[in-house]
Amino acid sequence: MSGHSCSLLFPVEDDREYSMSDYQGAQARWCPGCGDHSVLTATQRLLASEQLKPEETVFVSGIGCSSRFPHYVSSYGFHGIHGRALPVATGIKLHRPDLHVFVVMGDGDCTSIGAAHWLHATRYNVDMVALMLDNNIYGLTKMQTSPTTPEGYRSNTQPMGSFLPALNPIEATLGVTNASFVAQTAEWMPAHLYATLEAAYKHNGFSFVRILQRCPVFTGDIYQDAVRNPDMIEMLEHPDGVEVPDLHQIYQNISRHDPRNMDAARELAEKMDRIRVGVFFRDESRPRYEETRHLPLHTTDEKIGILNEELDKYAV
Amino acid sequence: MKKVMIGNHAVSWGVQRSRVEVISAYPITPQTQIVEELSDMCADGRLPARYIKVESEHSAMAACIGASAAGVRTFTATSAQGLALMHELLHWAAGGRLPIVMADVNRAMAPGWNIWTDQNDSLSQRDTGWIQLYCETNQEVFDTTVQAFRLAEQINLPVMIILDAFFLSHTSEPVDLTDQEIVDEFLPQRVAQYKLDPSDPHAFGALVRPDAYMEMRWQQQEAMRDTLRVMPEVDEAWGALTGRRYGAIEEYRTEDAELLLVTSGTITSTARHVVDARRSSGEKIGLVKIKMFRPFPTALLRSALAGADRVAVLDRNISPGHGGIFAEETRSALYDVPLEDRPTLFGYVLGLGGRDVTPSVIEAIVDRTREAEAPERQDLWVGVEL
Repeated sequence: MSGHSCSLLFPVEDDREYSMSDYQGAQARWCPGCGDHSVLTATQRLLASEQLKPEETVFVSGIGCSSRFPHYVSSYGFHGIHGRALPVATGIKLHRPDLHVFVVMGDGDCTSIGAAHWLHATRYNVDMVALMLDNNIYGLTKMQTSPTTPEGYRSNTQPMGSFLPALNPIEATLGVTNASFVAQTAEWMPAHLYATLEAAYKHNGFSFVRILQRCPVFTGDIYQDAVRNPDMIEMLEHPDGVEVPDLHQIYQNISRHDPRNMDAARELAEKMDRIRVGVFFRDESRPRYEETRHLPLHTTDEKIGILNEELDKYAV
Repeated sequence: MKKVMIGNHAVSWGVQRSRVEVISAYPITPQTQIVEELSDMCADGRLPARYIKVESEHSAMAACIGASAAGVRTFTATSAQGLALMHELLHWAAGGRLPIVMADVNRAMAPGWNIWTDQNDSLSQRDTGWIQLYCETNQEVFDTTVQAFRLAEQINLPVMIILDAFFLSHTSEPVDLTDQEIVDEFLPQRVAQYKLDPSDPHAFGALVRPDAYMEMRWQQQEAMRDTLRVMPEVDEAWGALTGRRYGAIEEYRTEDAELLLVTSGTITSTARHVVDARRSSGEKIGLVKIKMFRPFPTALLRSALAGADRVAVLDRNISPGHGGIFAEETRSALYDVPLEDRPTLFGYVLGLGGRDVTPSVIEAIVDRTREAEAPERQDLWVGVEL
């Protein structure tokens, strides 16, 4: 064997071309019709299009239906702790900035039990993509009210209907100091979903994407009208955000929105007359946590060595 | 009134009969049905309580602490990771001497992710100062829930009612739901000795300096000691009204037994069948069920186990680096038994993460305990090495 190099046993595949099927993990076991399938497909398409090496890509999730995501992607994965996907991902990215880090959370993970981390991860602005798959309900535990459940919507924990207006995740994220990328898309608009994921991946900083999605078992009716009636959708378009000309025939409410304009973004996020999809805000000039924190130039031992060297100069 | 119901709903009905005033919870499998049924009861008027929907188990226990400090009867339910997330507040509830009652559906801790039963979630909270009561049947779950409020309020300590995931939580059994008038007679409205009351202002949770902190812990420990006396009294008072009593421990066919099994939770029911079968073929075998784990019924266990030749403790839990937790606590209780009466203890770890414990598993344990010269180690892993 002396004539053989290790590369024969472990072939280096730097020039290998990855296809979507290379990112296929275990068979997805979400319910038929679940919006998670659509997000998984769009994500795998993005991975192939960007030729991300599976061994340099990490999917981090919390707990919930959507948090099964890492099982279904052939890459590194961390199916983690309820509500803590963001701190886990932050730890990974700070230690291994060379990795592509994707976070997959549900509305429970992100806006409920892990809400504190959502706020601070947005402010830290670590370069990663955070997907919030929002089906407006706790699905895995079978239909309890979540923070994004619409007011009056009945569930097993609020059988007379949710008491309060639903939390608006876009408005909330835009309200966080140092937010750098805030977008919304919908699972039933695959072209838009893909374009948004692509923009989020290419953004340098913390990209927060809320994906509206149907849970066919518990909340299939919430977006039923919007799915059937494109007039209820408004696409926010801009060269610096997302543009999907292929959809212009179907979705005719198109408005030009400059994602640098925070005031306009907040105004749009507040409006409830239509469902707005697109990049609400994007600003790459915001400071990123990993760039403000550097490893010390010298270890303690090296520092002592340098000091001693200096002091030796004065030795008599 | 007898109804067929799952163990989770037996908890809900116990809470309903106990006229709880504030409930706060966060869903987690396999507990969720407890609080779903309670939210139904609150919505349709069967239970005029406030149901506070919160954003995590940490918040659920915090809300119970606030409500309990305000003087009302409070309840929550959780499982596994949810209970672990409450950990900080469990200390607070006990140290604050708040009579909160909580149901924990025993579920294995992650990782690896697992929703099936074992006792490591509740036993990890052993030293938080909560009374722990393990249940064997859905009837016992209902009865223990009602008893728990009286016990908690009598001694000002929180109580955890514990039931096995799926084997009880999702399994239907007939449950006699004691009439409301009888429960009312047993469990009057809570009268809080100390509470947040604007007309008589007090502050809670202040800094306690070294000169007083230890006395607070002493009082907690004294309350635990009192519980050893009060728990059987409460059980007896309930027994007088309903005919159902359980004891801190139960001795089953222990008379003249040479070999005793020590069990808790649903493994007990399976073990009873094995004991019956062996007794009918003339074997001198019995069973001791531990219902109350905290405070630990040391004296009761000593008298129940002393004199037997061998004791096999069946632990659906493990203290990593030590052994099965019931086995180790039982071993420690036996230390003061004179050597000639002290049985040899075999500690079996089994059924972790919901692995089935069938009669044949227990049969094999019985045979092995009889035949072995001595235990090879303090923890013997059934299904892994045996």
